[in-house]
Amino acid sequence: MTEPLLSVRDLRVSYQVGRSFVHAVDGASFDIPKGSITGLVGESGCGKTTVARALTRVIADNAAITGGEILFEGRDLAKLPEREMNALRWRDIAFVPQSAMNSLDPVYTVEYQLGEVLRRRGGMDRRQARKRSEELFEMVGIDANRLNDYPHQFSGGMRQRVAIALALALNPKLIIADEPVTALDVIVQRQILDQLKELQVRLGLSVILVTHDISVVAYICDRTVVMYAGKVAESGTMQAALTAPSHPYTMGLRNAFPDLQGAASGVLTPIEGAPPNLANPPAGCRFKPRCPFALDVCGSEPPVVDVAPDHPVLCHRARESAALRIEAAKTETWMARA
Amino acid sequence: MTNFKAVGSRLLQLALVLWAVVTILFLMFRLMPGNPMAAYIDPTFTLEQQQQLMAQFGLDKPLWQQYLIYLGNLLQGELGQSFRYREPVGERIWTLLPNTLVLTFSSLIIAYAFGILAGAYLAWRRGSFIEQAAIPAVLTTRAMPEFWLGMVLLAIFSFSLGWFPAGGTRAPGAEYSGFLDLYTSRDFLSHLILPAATLAIYSQGLPLLLMRSNMLDVMKEDFVTMARIKGLSNWTVVVRHAARNALLPVMTSFAIAVGYQLQGNVVVESVFSWPGLGRELVNAVAASDYPLAQGAFLMIALVVILMNLLADLLYAVLDPRVSHA
Repeated sequence: MTEPLLSVRDLRVSYQVGRSFVHAVDGASFDIPKGSITGLVGESGCGKTTVARALTRVIADNAAITGGEILFEGRDLAKLPEREMNALRWRDIAFVPQSAMNSLDPVYTVEYQLGEVLRRRGGMDRRQARKRSEELFEMVGIDANRLNDYPHQFSGGMRQRVAIALALALNPKLIIADEPVTALDVIVQRQILDQLKELQVRLGLSVILVTHDISVVAYICDRTVVMYAGKVAESGTMQAALTAPSHPYTMGLRNAFPDLQGAASGVLTPIEGAPPNLANPPAGCRFKPRCPFALDVCGSEPPVVDVAPDHPVLCHRARESAALRIEAAKTETWMARA
Repeated sequence: MTNFKAVGSRLLQLALVLWAVVTILFLMFRLMPGNPMAAYIDPTFTLEQQQQLMAQFGLDKPLWQQYLIYLGNLLQGELGQSFRYREPVGERIWTLLPNTLVLTFSSLIIAYAFGILAGAYLAWRRGSFIEQAAIPAVLTTRAMPEFWLGMVLLAIFSFSLGWFPAGGTRAPGAEYSGFLDLYTSRDFLSHLILPAATLAIYSQGLPLLLMRSNMLDVMKEDFVTMARIKGLSNWTVVVRHAARNALLPVMTSFAIAVGYQLQGNVVVESVFSWPGLGRELVNAVAASDYPLAQGAFLMIALVVILMNLLADLLYAVLDPRVSHA
């Protein structure tokens, strides 16, 4: 792998809730290469959205980045002064939110909101901004005469396209899309994903796609980062994750979603149990209580094992993954735990 | 354009409301105890003389006839003769209404300008010492009765310090050629300050608290977070996005506040001997001067109704979701 665009090293983000701290992201490390779509996947509360927001450094009032590095083109965003960070927002790192309805200001036209970014952040004049807005609308497949419309006049899918157009406005190097299609029906989901993929390839963008839906990841991503309980369980190319998942959690996720790549067993097998409470996480491997392959050794902190080049796995038994995969494919393996 | 239709139906509603107000006013004064003519008819008058006077004011006719005459006169803009002043109510109101409107709007505009800015600021500085000190202070101003606040201001700034005159709208003997001349004079403004301050201090709490709580809600909205992620300046985020959206319900409250204010004026105008509609209303009711009280009430109702219409129209301008539904 060549020099990555973004390299997250041992990132830690905590929320203060009352007097206690919830370590939502507890030592996450992964790389985002240039010109790829990386799926950041995991179940609700695993810290994926917190990671995504930490990359922009616009996080909740009660949250703080408590450790680690976010290396972006040689600069550590975690420690960058606010002024420099703000200069970099949207110009280098743009964001596509989950709910485009709520993320567009209801009292301004879409053109105003595009123009606001283009003029205030991109230094364009009114005429240039208008021209660029038309260009952006064309890119995402919306008629330019709808620029003067207000957000509520668009359908859900259209609003999501507007959100993508907004993200593309200043030609960012990295786009973080936080559950960009979750609120949409499957047909529109697919259209939006196709569009995102097409734009990503055409413009050579790097995209981080945050989602809980591994089938979305399988559909358009080149790489995947699987998060569990605030840590990265496994990361690598999509190929590696689909054909050779090496963390039991990833194996379980594969069984729990309909397989878009064919060769489905036809039976969906859920992973029983729930993720641990991050205010007081268990010692050792956090997946241990739900893992069908857990051993005594799993009570201690698991190592990061490179099962292949560019394929780190956070598991004591990562080296046995080939054998575990065969077991994990059986429904009984997961039922026995329950 | 659907807008014309919307405005048309609002105007129709307005006419209906106005008719209801007029009718209630008419009945209300007839149901009040006491004979209105008692103050003007000397008991030594003969029955014939008394009836002659009653007939002169139309009070000998049945109620429904009086109502029809009243409605007919109103349609011609005729508010009747004041029992007490023996002059047309319309003229009397016309000289008093501007005083009331100037007092109401000057105090409300100050109250809203201050309340909106301070409310937005306090929301932005949530949790700070300033906010924690300001909220109880604002609640205190809301809890103070207007007449009491007015008297305290009078005691301090007029009687003790002598900075401002104690009442009225002009220095004794001062003459002005017209409303504009009067209202722009230093003399008038110095008379205006204390009553306007009383009303403004009392009124600023509503927009302030409303603006603050709206801001706190809006600041949590995704589009505000997105504005930050876009790297927009703090000013743009807070003013152009958060405050702009938080302002919508505050503007509607302005119309309602005008109604409350006119009510408050009755008290404050009495305290400051302000020759306005509110004070006249109190006097007219006390003197059973039906036509004048009716006219004053009607004028106040009309202002409130028009302000509500204005608020509706303004809302459509401020919030595209209303006009472009």
